[in-house]
Amino acid sequence: MDITKKIKSFVARQGSRSPCSPVEPLVSRDFVIETAVVKEKDDYRESTINPQAEAEILQSIEEVYFNDDTFDACDYQLKKIPAELDLNQIIRDKEYLQKQQYVVSKKVSDLILQNQTAYTQELHRVTELQKNLEQAGVICSQGRSHLARARKDFTTASLGILASFRKRERLLGLLKFLHSIKTMQETDVRLRELLEEEDYPGAIQLCLECQKAAIQFRHYKCISELSSKLQDTLEMMEEKLDVALSKVCTNFNTTHYEKLQAAYRLLGKTQTAMDQLLMHFASAIHNKAFTLVLGYVELCAGGSATKFQKHHYSELAKLITVETFTPCLKDLCKALWEVMHSYWCIVEWHEDHDSQSSQVNAGTEVNLTHQYVRQKLEHGLLRIWQDVQQKVKTYILASDLSSFKFDEFIHILDLVRRLIDIGEEFCNSKSEDLQESLRKQSVNYFRNYHRGCMEELRMFLENESWALCPVRPNFSILQLQEFRFLRHNHSRSILTPPSSPAHSKTESTSFSGRPREGYFQGYRYQGNPFEEKTEEEDKEDVLAPSTTDEGDGQPLSDTDSEDEDVADELKKEYVDEKTGDTPNNRQQRTTRKTSTSSRRRQILILTNTTLNVLRLFGKYMQMMNLLKPIAFDVLICMSQLFDYYMFSVYTFFYREMDFSENALSNKLRTTLKRIRENLILAESESDFGTDTRNKDKVPAPVLSTMVDLKSIEQLYGLAERVTAAESLVFLANQFEFLHPHLETFIPSSKKAFLQQFCSQTILTAPELRRPIYMTVAARGVDYNQVLMLMNCVKWDVHDIMSQHSYYVDILLRELQVFSMRLLEVNKKTPIPKEASDILWEHCIRLANRTFIEGFSQSKKCTNEGRALMQLDYQQFLTKVEGLTDLRLVPERELVEGYIKAFYLLEPALEQWIRSHREYTPKQLIGLVSCVTQLNKKGRQKLISLIEEGDKIRR
Amino acid sequence: MSESYVCFSDFLFKFLVIGSAGTGKSCLLHQFIENKFKAESSHTIGVEFGSKVVNVGGRSVKLQIWDTAGQERFRSVTRSYYRGAAGALLVYDITSRETYNALTNWLTDARTLASPNIIILLVGNKKDLEDDREVTFLEASRFAQENELMFLETSALSGENVEEAFLKCAKSILAKIETGELDPERIGSGIQYGDASFRRLNRQQQQQRRPECSC
Ligand SMILES: Nc1nc2c(ncn2[C@@H]2O[C@H](COP(=O)(O)OP(=O)(O)O)[C@@H](O)[C@H]2O)c(=O)[nH]1
Ligand SMILES: [Mg+2]
Repeated sequence: MDITKKIKSFVARQGSRSPCSPVEPLVSRDFVIETAVVKEKDDYRESTINPQAEAEILQSIEEVYFNDDTFDACDYQLKKIPAELDLNQIIRDKEYLQKQQYVVSKKVSDLILQNQTAYTQELHRVTELQKNLEQAGVICSQGRSHLARARKDFTTASLGILASFRKRERLLGLLKFLHSIKTMQETDVRLRELLEEEDYPGAIQLCLECQKAAIQFRHYKCISELSSKLQDTLEMMEEKLDVALSKVCTNFNTTHYEKLQAAYRLLGKTQTAMDQLLMHFASAIHNKAFTLVLGYVELCAGGSATKFQKHHYSELAKLITVETFTPCLKDLCKALWEVMHSYWCIVEWHEDHDSQSSQVNAGTEVNLTHQYVRQKLEHGLLRIWQDVQQKVKTYILASDLSSFKFDEFIHILDLVRRLIDIGEEFCNSKSEDLQESLRKQSVNYFRNYHRGCMEELRMFLENESWALCPVRPNFSILQLQEFRFLRHNHSRSILTPPSSPAHSKTESTSFSGRPREGYFQGYRYQGNPFEEKTEEEDKEDVLAPSTTDEGDGQPLSDTDSEDEDVADELKKEYVDEKTGDTPNNRQQRTTRKTSTSSRRRQILILTNTTLNVLRLFGKYMQMMNLLKPIAFDVLICMSQLFDYYMFSVYTFFYREMDFSENALSNKLRTTLKRIRENLILAESESDFGTDTRNKDKVPAPVLSTMVDLKSIEQLYGLAERVTAAESLVFLANQFEFLHPHLETFIPSSKKAFLQQFCSQTILTAPELRRPIYMTVAARGVDYNQVLMLMNCVKWDVHDIMSQHSYYVDILLRELQVFSMRLLEVNKKTPIPKEASDILWEHCIRLANRTFIEGFSQSKKCTNEGRALMQLDYQQFLTKVEGLTDLRLVPERELVEGYIKAFYLLEPALEQWIRSHREYTPKQLIGLVSCVTQLNKKGRQKLISLIEEGDKIRR
Repeated sequence: MSESYVCFSDFLFKFLVIGSAGTGKSCLLHQFIENKFKAESSHTIGVEFGSKVVNVGGRSVKLQIWDTAGQERFRSVTRSYYRGAAGALLVYDITSRETYNALTNWLTDARTLASPNIIILLVGNKKDLEDDREVTFLEASRFAQENELMFLETSALSGENVEEAFLKCAKSILAKIETGELDPERIGSGIQYGDASFRRLNRQQQQQRRPECSC
């Protein structure tokens, strides 16, 4: 080892420089030593020693010298010197050592020489090796550097790629987010667009998606801002949605509403939306009504019109003027209809849609929501109708409609009635509020209207000349314009307002009539039930166009021709009678009588006033028809028209005669008393018209000064009396004719009143004939004159007379004159058989009374005188039959009985007196006084019997 | 809101519309009261009635107007309405000479049946039918002058002069009341005070001031 090292260093010294020299210092030391060896060798060459010796010497070299490199030979030798120095020894040692050294050196030199070639060879190989090594080194380092490059070029790049790829992926993801965020940022615009397009569900969907996305991205800073903005947008959208919802109230549109519903569903606010919707409806109703009325008020107020803004609705309604009342009401109804119609559409929409989905989603939350909505909507119906009613009611009651013209008022009623109908269809409401306001206004209006009519009637009555108003014989009240609605009655229900579907142009929108399928269906897509296009034409036909403000309608648009017919027919009939210039008329009296009686039946006796009352009847009946709630009040007023007419006839033609009321039947007396007390303003009260009790009373009418009831030639106004009494009967008949119609108008609970009125008033009307005609009979013949003549007749004659007394002729002549006057009157005014019968009957009755009265005047009488009485009466009977067409002479037995009682014996006479109360006590006493077969006592007894009986009678 | 209707009038005048059938009497009345032309006019049966409150010279006057049937057969019925009329509109049709010729008869009737103080206004109606005119304005005005009538030509169709006709008549009556020529208190004058309370008021305050309408 050591050697190799030494060799190495040697080689290194000799060879070319090696790049690395960590062994260099060692080599240099070796070199020093080696040089020294070589020098020593040189020194010992002179002394040549044999090889034997040399080997011995070599052998003798102590072992220690080979031991160790670090062996210090000098030190070793020095230490070997013994303490007492022996120079010779030392020199010997020295020489020995030198010898040894020499040998070693020589040995080394030999060895070196011996190995020189090997060495050189070796060295060469070494050099070569070194060269190879150097080459290998280069290759190696080249390889290394290639390897390094390869490593560098290959691994890092691919890893880089991977890394980049990953990065790219990430960035792509980021980009997507950024895109989303960008889209989100841009959503706002899109949202606005969608809202513009009213695509609420779309907008909300988008918004909600955005919100969801925003939650995902909430780690981005920009997003938090966005999401708060989205929240704002969503809120704004809800507001918009709410606004859109509020618009539904007035203008429902299916697609629009569908969108809204979808939107609310998305928001999960279907129920809240419903609550909101109902609120919108409430405010829509209020706003519409308020704006409308305000508009009209401002319109009327003119320029400075801002001050009304702050008024309350009810105050505004009071400011509506007469002229604008109806148009405003109409507009109000129209507007409210629109609101109701929208609501109806909504209900229908929900029915359609929710029921469909309910089937699918039975029992789920959706279904619960639907149930909630349904209930809400159902309640809403009533609430909305209540609101509508309230608005209209307030409006209606705010004005006093009493001064409105008849057809305008009817128009108003019709509008409200239509609204009530709509209300009924809407929510089955009975509309008590509206009905009540209608009732109030109707009563108020009608009271005023009725007052006007009564006033007008009084005017008619006071201007009435009681002349016959010529109408054609087959005149019927149904020909009057006012009664046309009865003629059409079969074509429509009596209970519906007089709309006439048959006449209307468009079937579904007949005037005031509800469309067959109902208002809401009928006006589903267009139109408004308060829009009256066909009204004008129809109204003419249906309602009485009242031409005058007191409401006297003009008759008969179509009677132009009818009326001409009447005229012609009448001319024949009536003119004949009057002038008698047709040959037919000039026939014998007997046939004439029958012919007149048949003709009498044809001629209707009515006056201008009767016609007016009939017209009023017609109008009142229309009122009853239209004002169902106050139909009964109207009926009562209608009965007052009749009452007043009847009372007038009574006062004009009966009461003025100052007759004892006995001529009236109890029933008639009660009736007239009732009228006077309830209807007629007593003269003493007339100045206190403010007394509410008397407010609806009318003054007693005054007979027109044109009517002359004094002339005996005219038989004390017989013509007028006949016209009056017969026109009253005519009126009564017409009322009877209307009775069944009237019954249909009033509630059945009130039918009793009508019944009673008919039986107690209408049916008693003909009874007024008698007292009215009786007056004529009583005055037309001078019975007093006859009575006076009878007073002069001597009844105590003793011969049987063959000639009747003179007074009978006078009486008969009086009756003859009466008959002639009657005929004279008849020429002008046909006197119906009923009238002439009453007249004659009464004349004869009065004649009979005269006979009895006259007979009773006789103080003394003989049997012959009694016979004369019989003769006189017989004469009267035979003659009077020729004057009248009465078949039986009334009360004939009364006269004959009175005459014959004279012959009765006391007990029979007493019996007779007891059983004959028809005679006055005076007449009975007269009889008793002149009876011859009585003694004084018996006469006294009978007289006291008569007087007692008289007391009882009173 | 309806005060003007309820308002009591100062006076009540009874008016009469007379003239041959078909001259347009009913239409005139209708136009006056309703401000509309009554297209479907039918013959008047007997007498019909209308009233209107008008303002004449600051006074409100209720006109009570009787529209009579022109046909002969109704004469007996219409006769009674002449009495107690304060004013009359005597109507003829300018397109019908026949109706003009009948005026004398109508006038005689009016003069005999009505109060001597009656104010009569001659009315030539159907002024709108100028092409069919048969009676000239001049001719009719001469007739009016001769008979001391006022005169106007009207059209119930267009409404021209209709209100004027009634007002003119009313004005003339009112003037006569004020001059004392007419006495409203006289029976049969055709004039009444509007209402009883007013009459009392009027008596008390006649000199002081024109009574206000009570509303
Ligand atoms: N052109 C035109 N026709 C009228 C006028 N007044 C009335 N008429 C027509 O004349 C006819 C008779 O009218 P009406 O008033 O019944 O006449 P009355 O008999 O006098 O009442 C009707 O057909 C009306 O249409 C008018 O001023 N001009
Ligand atoms: Mg007429």
